[in-house]
Amino acid sequence: MPKLVNLTINHTRVTVPEGTLIVDAAKEAGINIPVFCYHPKMEPVGMCRMCLVDVARPVIDRATGQPVLEADGAPKLSFGPKLETACTTPVSEGMLVVEDSPKVTAARKDILEFLLTSHPLDCPICDKGGECPLQNLTLGYGPTESRFDFADKLHHAKRVPLGELIFLDRERCIQCGRCVRFQEKIAGDPVIGFYQRGRKLEIQTQTQPGFDSIFSGNTSDICPVGALTTADFRFGARPWEMEAHPSICAQCAVGCNIVFNTKREARSEGGMAIKRVMPRQNEAVNEIWLCDKGRFGYHYLQSGERLTRPMIRQNGELVPVSWETATDTIVERLKTGRSGLTVLAGGRLANEDLFNLKRLADAEHGKTLFYTHMGGGDLTGQVGLAPGSNLATLGKGDAVLVVASDLHEEAPIWWLRLKQAAARGASLVVLNPRATRLDDFAAISQRYHYGRVMDALAALFAGEAGQVLSQAANLVIFFGSEGLGVDGSQAVAQACANLLIRTGHTGRPNNGLVGVWSEPNAQGAWELGYRPAKNLTAELAEAHVTLVAGADPAGDDPALAETLQQSEFLVVADLFMTETAKRANVVLPALPYSEREGSFTSGERRVQRFTAALPPREKAHTEAMIAARVAARLGLKIEESLPVVFEKLAAETPAFTGLSFDRLAETHPQKPLLSREDLYYSGTAYENTAGLGCTLALTGSPAEAEPVTPELPAPVENALLAVPITRLYDRSSTLVHSSSILGQRMIGAEVWLNPQDAAERGLSAGAEIEIHLKSANWPVKVVINADVPAGAALLPRSVGIPAFELAALEI
Amino acid sequence: MLPLLRGLLTTLKSMAEKPTTVSYPEQKRPVSARFRGRHVLNRYENGLEKCIGCALCAAACPADAIFVEAAENTDEKRFSPGERYASTYEINMLRCIFCGFCEDACPTEAIVLEDNYELSFTDRKQAIYTKEMLLNPVPAQGKPTPQQVEPGVFTRSVPEMKDPTD
Amino acid sequence: MSDMAMLNSGAENPVDEMVLLRHRNIPDIDQLSVYLSNGGFAAFEKAVREWAPAKVTEEVKASGLRGRGGAGFPTGMKWSFLPDKIWPHYVVANADESEPGTFKDREIMEKNPYQFLEGLMIAAYAVQAGTAYIYLRGEFWPVAQKLDACIAELERAGLLGSNLLGSSYSLRLYTHLGAGAYVCGEESALLESLEGKMGQPRLRPPFPAVAGLYNKPTLINNVETLTNLPPIIKNGAAWYRGFGTEKSPGVKIFSLSGRVKRPGNYELPLGATFRHLIYDLGGGIPGGRPIKAIMPAGASSSLIKASDVALDTAMDYEAVATLGSTLGSASVIVLDDTVNMKWLLQKTLAFFRHESCGKCTPCREGTYWMSLIADRMASGKGRSDDAALLGSVAGQIKGKCLCPLGEFSLTAVQTALSLFPEDFAA
Repeated sequence: MPKLVNLTINHTRVTVPEGTLIVDAAKEAGINIPVFCYHPKMEPVGMCRMCLVDVARPVIDRATGQPVLEADGAPKLSFGPKLETACTTPVSEGMLVVEDSPKVTAARKDILEFLLTSHPLDCPICDKGGECPLQNLTLGYGPTESRFDFADKLHHAKRVPLGELIFLDRERCIQCGRCVRFQEKIAGDPVIGFYQRGRKLEIQTQTQPGFDSIFSGNTSDICPVGALTTADFRFGARPWEMEAHPSICAQCAVGCNIVFNTKREARSEGGMAIKRVMPRQNEAVNEIWLCDKGRFGYHYLQSGERLTRPMIRQNGELVPVSWETATDTIVERLKTGRSGLTVLAGGRLANEDLFNLKRLADAEHGKTLFYTHMGGGDLTGQVGLAPGSNLATLGKGDAVLVVASDLHEEAPIWWLRLKQAAARGASLVVLNPRATRLDDFAAISQRYHYGRVMDALAALFAGEAGQVLSQAANLVIFFGSEGLGVDGSQAVAQACANLLIRTGHTGRPNNGLVGVWSEPNAQGAWELGYRPAKNLTAELAEAHVTLVAGADPAGDDPALAETLQQSEFLVVADLFMTETAKRANVVLPALPYSEREGSFTSGERRVQRFTAALPPREKAHTEAMIAARVAARLGLKIEESLPVVFEKLAAETPAFTGLSFDRLAETHPQKPLLSREDLYYSGTAYENTAGLGCTLALTGSPAEAEPVTPELPAPVENALLAVPITRLYDRSSTLVHSSSILGQRMIGAEVWLNPQDAAERGLSAGAEIEIHLKSANWPVKVVINADVPAGAALLPRSVGIPAFELAALEI
Repeated sequence: MLPLLRGLLTTLKSMAEKPTTVSYPEQKRPVSARFRGRHVLNRYENGLEKCIGCALCAAACPADAIFVEAAENTDEKRFSPGERYASTYEINMLRCIFCGFCEDACPTEAIVLEDNYELSFTDRKQAIYTKEMLLNPVPAQGKPTPQQVEPGVFTRSVPEMKDPTD
Repeated sequence: MSDMAMLNSGAENPVDEMVLLRHRNIPDIDQLSVYLSNGGFAAFEKAVREWAPAKVTEEVKASGLRGRGGAGFPTGMKWSFLPDKIWPHYVVANADESEPGTFKDREIMEKNPYQFLEGLMIAAYAVQAGTAYIYLRGEFWPVAQKLDACIAELERAGLLGSNLLGSSYSLRLYTHLGAGAYVCGEESALLESLEGKMGQPRLRPPFPAVAGLYNKPTLINNVETLTNLPPIIKNGAAWYRGFGTEKSPGVKIFSLSGRVKRPGNYELPLGATFRHLIYDLGGGIPGGRPIKAIMPAGASSSLIKASDVALDTAMDYEAVATLGSTLGSASVIVLDDTVNMKWLLQKTLAFFRHESCGKCTPCREGTYWMSLIADRMASGKGRSDDAALLGSVAGQIKGKCLCPLGEFSLTAVQTALSLFPEDFAA
């Protein structure tokens, strides 16, 4: 426990830990000291001088070392000769801070007048207008009239693209450097910086392509003026016109808390539409940050290509029908079917959908299968993170192991959190076949050959890293699926689980196993009993009625497409006309999570609730509703109302015991105190009033088991080893189309080769070639990367190439 | 008796007066200087729209009658000076209470309540006035919008304003 | 610049034997052999062979030497701030001589380089630094070339390198050219620049003595300060105290410029009067015109209104302060009655506007604004309230800046406005 210090701010007595800055201490006391350059998540720099306050300290007698007392016995205080910056001055015992005196008020006015000399008068057209710290503080403390000549105002470029996502208005910039510092210190991408000096000081990008960082959108949030705007939201709406709907980002398994800002728009014929995605503070998940995929990748939710009506196949063609007809068709088939319903669900579905579909399948003597490329979720349910875990509290003495995952690409915010944990002193151990951006701050970083992960793990545990991990006070293990299929990642998870059990790192907060899933609710599917099929092709071939929801197996794998083409009766519930849907007998339009409520379980096993941001589009239903409707026609009782479904789920699933939508909506004050009222303190991030979520209880009694190592593919002469990897800007859960805002960053079908392998085959970067994989040819683009191990051909997932596990690949 | 005669006198007098009836709509009476009739969206002399799509009128509107959506100007397709213009501008005249707050809020004097009071509709949709209906015609020396203009000329959204003289 | 430095090479100087500008007595002292034959490196040898590092520091403390860069902080005291627990230590010579009107360090480095380098080596020995840097302003590239050649010469002579003079002490020197920024004379900005970053001042505390270059304890001394060290070590603190006054002992180079007949560098004991410097040495004002004002510390000075009292004031740290100004780096700029203060402010403010690094708001915006007003006034387009506005803006900057540069920018403004209101009458 740090030492506590007592001080007085204005007339309020405050007690805060030693080392607290005056500005933060004041915040604790409910006193807002205006700032521009200071940000509670970053080291202070004292540049903008907005936070000047008058500080008095007790006079200490040099001879005795004791405070000098006034006649009345109170300690004698002495004010400094100058005002001090509250953002850089730590508190000290007996200090008196005055921030409401005429002297301080005058200083604020002076600084604001200086800032406004160069600031343009374009609040009416500025995207920040209405939620602008400079605007608010000018109204609060600024001068009413300008003594600076309007004609002398500097005119700079107003539309400088730093990259294709972020635009700089050079006139509006007040040179606070928050964006520069965020990129350098927090995002670890120092790609923008100051250029020139004095009044010519400006922000510029230092990379090609411009502003090449996956966290770039955050700079727009923390910018205290409208200098940084996003290409997505530029002139999109005025802040006061928008409604805020709390939700959860569905782009990966981190579960970042977000807000959908919605407004009526002409393009939607006066209907509500999402105008932007903003972060919502959850210090245990994403703090106040978001990655660009989460921020800009939402457009698929309101795509015009979404399915709008149920369809059934008549004479080989899919024709639109009513829900009644579609439901009838399914029910008839189920009634006549010889046995049961096979549900194949993806990790995009909400907990409530998965639960209802499972109940329907169970009632119909069917089975539920989980569509995934990665195993091990049964283990994360037993030895996962326990309630009370928070990666932000990992530090000295703790250790984190990351196996077979490129977190920067797969789960950016986890990467950010581990970077911070390492900075706080946690030992980060990375085991991956190629270099990733985790290596930059790893204490130990080891490589292995693709296919040799189990040997590498055994060697790692036996070596120095094993010592670090087993002796750590707390140990978290992240495992991914780089170069691994379901069986491979299952084996890795088992080996990691064994280590956790053996070293006693289970069942406690901040200890456990985390799967780096690519879907928002993969962990939820595992918790609810969904398991991947041992042999999916065989299962689908045998099934009589197949219901595929939130997954596109036919689009991923031509072999599965073939099987599904032959299936007896295929029902598909999805947002789009996927390859799987094209082969269906019945296609049902599903509701995206932005138009309904529900809950996701993140990779850290935190169940979080999302709410409907938009009214549901006509004729689309949740999967939970579909299951309930079908069940009703079969004479079964399955609840439709999502809160009730969740209650039922909680009652029947041990890990969810005691949870309800109300519990998920509980909040408590978070530190640092960031809220909407004082935008200048933290930027435009939303206060979390909609719920922090709850971490699931651990169930089952974990026991060590022998991992089953899958066999390697037989070596083929001259062939490379095809290795599936996961990239950030892919097409998996976003279903982003190339026309979207992230279009430039999206990857297509590509193969990553080592320079030497490429040279031997006479391939240059960007060459368009065909690869032979799974007895078919695939057109791909060559990417040459020195980090790729020799002999490996890296294939990003979910761009249409069926790369699921290691395989031989010919070029 | 006397009151009766006095009354009749009044009647006789008014019989001699000119009638005050105005034969509307052929004839129209002038409105007062500060009359608040139907809105118009003004243009600059060169034809560019004064409206910059800031939506402050919509924010000021107590009846929530105004809907504005903005988009970005380019020098190839310029609607208004500066970066932003109103891509959609609609006023629901059934909601409008003609208070004139929109006029007060406008930073460019783009929206003005003019003299037209002849608003009648046969259905609700007709009551929604679009930007095309509200915009003033292009002045004689101006060009219609969007205009193709020299780069770097129209960079300021909000003109330098002077205190009102009247 | 170059013509200024040349102006006085043979000028008369009352100190018969120069302590700092020894090249004026001894030709070719910029040759190592000449320097050695005139007692060169005896002090360094004495320090390394005979004295413990702490004793060197004690001797410098006893000499009363104060920093010659402008602040006048006791040098020995500054050395003793470096903590013993954190290593390595660095020493940096501040040769970013950028104050308008200051040209003393350049003459030392060009004409008497070995004495400066010996001083730097003594300082490095005193704080046990193994590496010392000479940070030169960007325009000093010929000086850097010269120093590089001298350093190479010293290495060949075995006076720099490993295990010097048979001791276990090793030292290497490097020159580093800045990119031409006044603010890099401020020590934390200098360190940023030396580390390869933008030359912007750091937040203090921590002070460079604790966390300086590469976050290690760093001693930063001005070139002239360092050049004082060899004679102090060689002849002892008591000898040095024989020069100057009780509180400001020693000798100082005064860079005299402005409206004088013989501008140039003059080495004098601290405590000499302005009158002596300007009239006896500088030859007085061309045409015998009256002096209007004196800027004793270059462009960042508070102006001193000329008077008999002012002219007879001793030039030491304490006495100049009684005139409401500072001795600073002792770059005395003389202004006669032909100088209009509007013109003066326009020039100094243009300089500060150009040199503001832009990190903190009051300096970045304030210098720009003040410069605009001064331009307007000087061009005759000023308005009646411009002087008041200028004073108000200057007052608005005062006490709010991150580093001293911002404060320097307004001293001339405030004093000019208060001492010479007649120049600003509309």
